[in-house]
Amino acid sequence: MSVNYGETNILHRRQWILRIVPCSAVAIILLVLPAFLPFYLQNIMSKVIIFALFAMSLDIVMGYTGLISLGHAAFFGVGGYAAAILIKKCGITSFWIICPLAILITAASAAILGIIALRVSGIYFLLVTLALSLLLQNIANKWYSMTRGTDGILGIPSPDLGLSSLFSWSSTGLYYFILVIFVICSFLIFRIVNSPFGNALQGIRENEHRMEVLGYNTWLYKYLALIIGGSFAGVAGILFAHYNGIIAPFHLGITTSTLAMLMCIIGGLGTVWGPIIGSFIIILVEYFSSILVPERWPLVLGAVFVISVMTLRGGIAQQLLRLREKLFYGSIKG
Amino acid sequence: MEALRVNNLYKNFGGVQAAHNISFSVAAGERLAIIGPNGAGKTTLFNLLNGQLSPSAGQVLFFGKDITHKTVFQRTHLGLARSFQITNLFLELTVLKNVLLALHGVERSRFQVFRPITFYDQHLDKAKDLLDLIDLWNKKDDRVQSISYGEQRKLEIALCLASKPKLILMDEPSNGLTNVESAEIACRIRDLGREVTVILVAHDMDLVFEVAERILVLHNGRIIAQGMPEEIQSDPRVREIYMGSNDMIVECLN
Repeated sequence: MSVNYGETNILHRRQWILRIVPCSAVAIILLVLPAFLPFYLQNIMSKVIIFALFAMSLDIVMGYTGLISLGHAAFFGVGGYAAAILIKKCGITSFWIICPLAILITAASAAILGIIALRVSGIYFLLVTLALSLLLQNIANKWYSMTRGTDGILGIPSPDLGLSSLFSWSSTGLYYFILVIFVICSFLIFRIVNSPFGNALQGIRENEHRMEVLGYNTWLYKYLALIIGGSFAGVAGILFAHYNGIIAPFHLGITTSTLAMLMCIIGGLGTVWGPIIGSFIIILVEYFSSILVPERWPLVLGAVFVISVMTLRGGIAQQLLRLREKLFYGSIKG
Repeated sequence: MEALRVNNLYKNFGGVQAAHNISFSVAAGERLAIIGPNGAGKTTLFNLLNGQLSPSAGQVLFFGKDITHKTVFQRTHLGLARSFQITNLFLELTVLKNVLLALHGVERSRFQVFRPITFYDQHLDKAKDLLDLIDLWNKKDDRVQSISYGEQRKLEIALCLASKPKLILMDEPSNGLTNVESAEIACRIRDLGREVTVILVAHDMDLVFEVAERILVLHNGRIIAQGMPEEIQSDPRVREIYMGSNDMIVECLN
């Protein structure tokens, strides 16, 4: 016998509870965490959150749409550079002007690079995105008058919200500021990936050709996914520029791209919160291993990556989802 | 009213003529079957009709409108749906999501970026209707990967119906099914209303004679015969083609 509508609604409601409980638990932990942490760990947590946003933006492109990009840091870097240049060269200080402008610049660059990169697919897409990000890195290296070359742009101040007379930035304040932006962005991303548009992206990942037959202009969807993913990466870049105080050419390059890619893979592709877990693990492992074994921390990071790929197929998020299914759905479905 | 008219369609792959001067028309509401031995160009013809391939020459009219140069998704929006010979679904997604994607594909809501897909009650209702029709509503949360092959074939047809088609191109709907399952597919096709036109490609002669009102025989990319099922059965040229090959259809034609 088929399940009737009433039961389905209960199922849906339970699903919502199952979603909201872990979300609010994480939110509460993130809210009260700074009270228990020394300031340098607060800074590390800020970095975790910034990279979580960056990895989530890559996940839209890679995990949901299935476009494997090795150039995603280009948008991270463009966002950061745009903010830095607007502050240092154009003398604009207000965050409320810098942020939308820098996002627009990132979105525009994603729109231009997307047209070039989406002419090819598969492994060629990976190579073209890599080449484009290296191109941007080179521009940042050589255009000394604008980007200060290999030194990068130094001394980027904390965001000016127009409240500077009221309070000055502490690491706790910066943490909360980044957290607020992060929560807004992750809510937006959550809505996007669950919308008809977001589901269409997943359909394209699974079977692009069938999506065309169902009436979707798949090229346009991939293009929009790149622009949306790029824009969120830009937001992460802006936050990073403020947080770090320095933005340098390598932030546009492959090391930064692969870092985000590792976060997505370890955390779990195609889930909203997988990249958050990935970012948490990678940044913390990076931080502690650089303290404990300063010369060999990449080795530790590499080991973590290999082990998690071998033991956690589909990333930590998928493993947790499977566990949840076993715990909660086994009884309902049976 | 003509649902589809094909004028002098040609398609060459290098030296191979996969479609050679093909012309035919289908009336609205009609059920046409296209048969022919393996390699006759049936699937190529479907690919030309739904826009996956563009013809070397010729013209395709859909309800009087020239669609020869329209893209695949534009044709779907006009009401041309297609099912596939080899199951062509979203294996990692749930059954329900497969149907919802098909439902949204022909509506403006496919560009909606902010409203969760589960908030569209109307679409959920329609999905329930479609899945009830093929007895898959109780498996709506299962991944397509995990349902049986026969169920996947039925889902394939449900996806077609979800895009509100005026004309369905069905490529071997009963491919690889048991007799019972194949008879069920035949029932589903006969149950379709007359507002839907069906063009069917099949090797399964039971299905063809069950469903088709007119048959078109393809051989080496050419139409060699068309007519009522009884005429085709007794057509000497058709018999010769099938006699020449080791095809199972020989028995069915006799």
